[in-house]
Amino acid sequence: MRTDDTERGHSLWSDAWHRLRRNRAAFAGGILLLVLATACAAGPLFSQSYEGQNLDLGAVPPSSQHWLGTDTLGRDLLARTLYGGRISIMVGLVATFVALAIGVTYGAVAGYFGGKVDAFMMRLVDILYALPFAIFVILLMVFFGRNIFLLFFAIGAVEWLTMARIVRGQVLSIKRMEFIEAARALGLGRRRIIFRHVIPNVLGPVIVYTSLTIPAVMLLESFLSFLGLGVQAPMSSWGVLIKDGSEKMEEFWWLLVFPGALFFLTLLSLNLLGDGLRDALDVRASKD
Amino acid sequence: MIRFVAQRLLQTIPVVWVIITATFFMIRFVPGGPFTAEKAVTPEIMRNLEAHYGLNRPLYRQYLDYCGSILRGDLGPSFKYPTRSVNEIIAEKLPVSVELGLWSLGVALCAGLPLGLIAAVKRNTWVDYLCSSASMIGICIPTFVMGPLLILVFAIHFGWFNASGWYGPVDRVLPSLTLGSVYAAYVARLTRGGMLEVLSQDYIRTARAKGASEVRVLLKHALRGGLAPVVSFLGPAIAGIVTGSFVIETIFQIPGIGREFVNSAFNRDYTLVLGTVVLYAGFLIGMNLVVDIVQVWLNPKLKFE
Repeated sequence: MRTDDTERGHSLWSDAWHRLRRNRAAFAGGILLLVLATACAAGPLFSQSYEGQNLDLGAVPPSSQHWLGTDTLGRDLLARTLYGGRISIMVGLVATFVALAIGVTYGAVAGYFGGKVDAFMMRLVDILYALPFAIFVILLMVFFGRNIFLLFFAIGAVEWLTMARIVRGQVLSIKRMEFIEAARALGLGRRRIIFRHVIPNVLGPVIVYTSLTIPAVMLLESFLSFLGLGVQAPMSSWGVLIKDGSEKMEEFWWLLVFPGALFFLTLLSLNLLGDGLRDALDVRASKD
Repeated sequence: MIRFVAQRLLQTIPVVWVIITATFFMIRFVPGGPFTAEKAVTPEIMRNLEAHYGLNRPLYRQYLDYCGSILRGDLGPSFKYPTRSVNEIIAEKLPVSVELGLWSLGVALCAGLPLGLIAAVKRNTWVDYLCSSASMIGICIPTFVMGPLLILVFAIHFGWFNASGWYGPVDRVLPSLTLGSVYAAYVARLTRGGMLEVLSQDYIRTARAKGASEVRVLLKHALRGGLAPVVSFLGPAIAGIVTGSFVIETIFQIPGIGREFVNSAFNRDYTLVLGTVVLYAGFLIGMNLVVDIVQVWLNPKLKFE
């Protein structure tokens, strides 16, 4: 695909960076994401306790005391939303990492070996694509306790398929290039060639698709939490808060609107950044 | 074409079988049974219950029996609704979900296609930016935020609709809008992208050079190729609409199969869970097949791959 990789590997990335800088929407998305992530990571350290109840207070609308109001137990909504954001973002990152690890390894192996191995492995992916996976995730979560590690694994196990396809396509084209031939001529083992030479060269599409997988994973997590199958009390995530809020919105609109808005902004910033990265790295997704 | 379809149909048989088997054994190996959640029953009653439903027999027999009855089209009795069979429950609830899905798909196509088409034609003007921003926003609002917000504004505040239920035609509006909006946004983006790619190709320039009107160029020449990404998206979209209906049916309290599926999983109603999974799997695989066929029809080049 990019035959000039080896000669100007450096300027490829700086080119991409310049293109990303020029893309105002993507840049705004990146900054928004940075602000939100910092707020969620550091906010709970400074804000009011997320568990601290004040039953006499009950649910009050936003005020100077409680910027986003309080919930029915008198807990500060800002603190709870930031804390929930921590969990949502963490699930997004960890589950994406699981999907990434499975998908990249699987796709790289299939693409590298090619032939019958590849045909078999990709046929398996085709079959898995046709399965109603969300249904299996629901069953898993219902049957095997609602534990957060299972959640990571279940979501990661669903989201790796597209990654595997993308990586495989890339590897197929890269392995025919000369530097791989050279590595083989030098007597490097297969594993070393895959991990040292092939994977670093498929990084572009992987970065792009990763940035688009994170919002998808966060949506799936909150979808499960909304059904009562994801993150469990006393922990909370944006999905849990939105579920609570939607049950009480008739009287206390802020309980729905603020967590919903923060979640929306996070998804928006991730998607804008992902689109920008795709343009900057010039990746044609789903073309391989 | 017939060979292609037959080949694909044959391929689905092992897939469906794997799904049935995996689900069957997964359900049996989890702690808790359909009768453990209820008020404590004496061991004798428990034994009678299990004997009645054949749960006391060896697992492989239960499995073979189940496979046999599926081949006859019988999904067995429900454990939680003792007087009813799974077939009856599905027959009652499925039409509701199908209707919801069709309305949502309608919303997605009727809103998404024109939006994407206009954005592509008016590329890089404020019209394009408006349409593209709208679809980006649509993608980022989760259905379970959108649904409650629509209820809050249009049902509670303005009082135009009922907040929940599935009785009159009015009750179709908010759920279909909620479920359809996300997919409308995706359809708009894909239509725009597909059309832009096609519009820059030579045969479009040829058509223009031969004096075809702009509308004719768009609808007659470009649309067929430009819709390819939308068509390939429809497979996953239909799957998404199906699972999305779990949430929508919960929010709007619609008596559909999605809510029934989630409840049956919570209740450990084995046969009902299995029945709905088989139904969904068969449906999704069938829809993917239809999408593949439509794609080949739109782009005959694919036939030879």
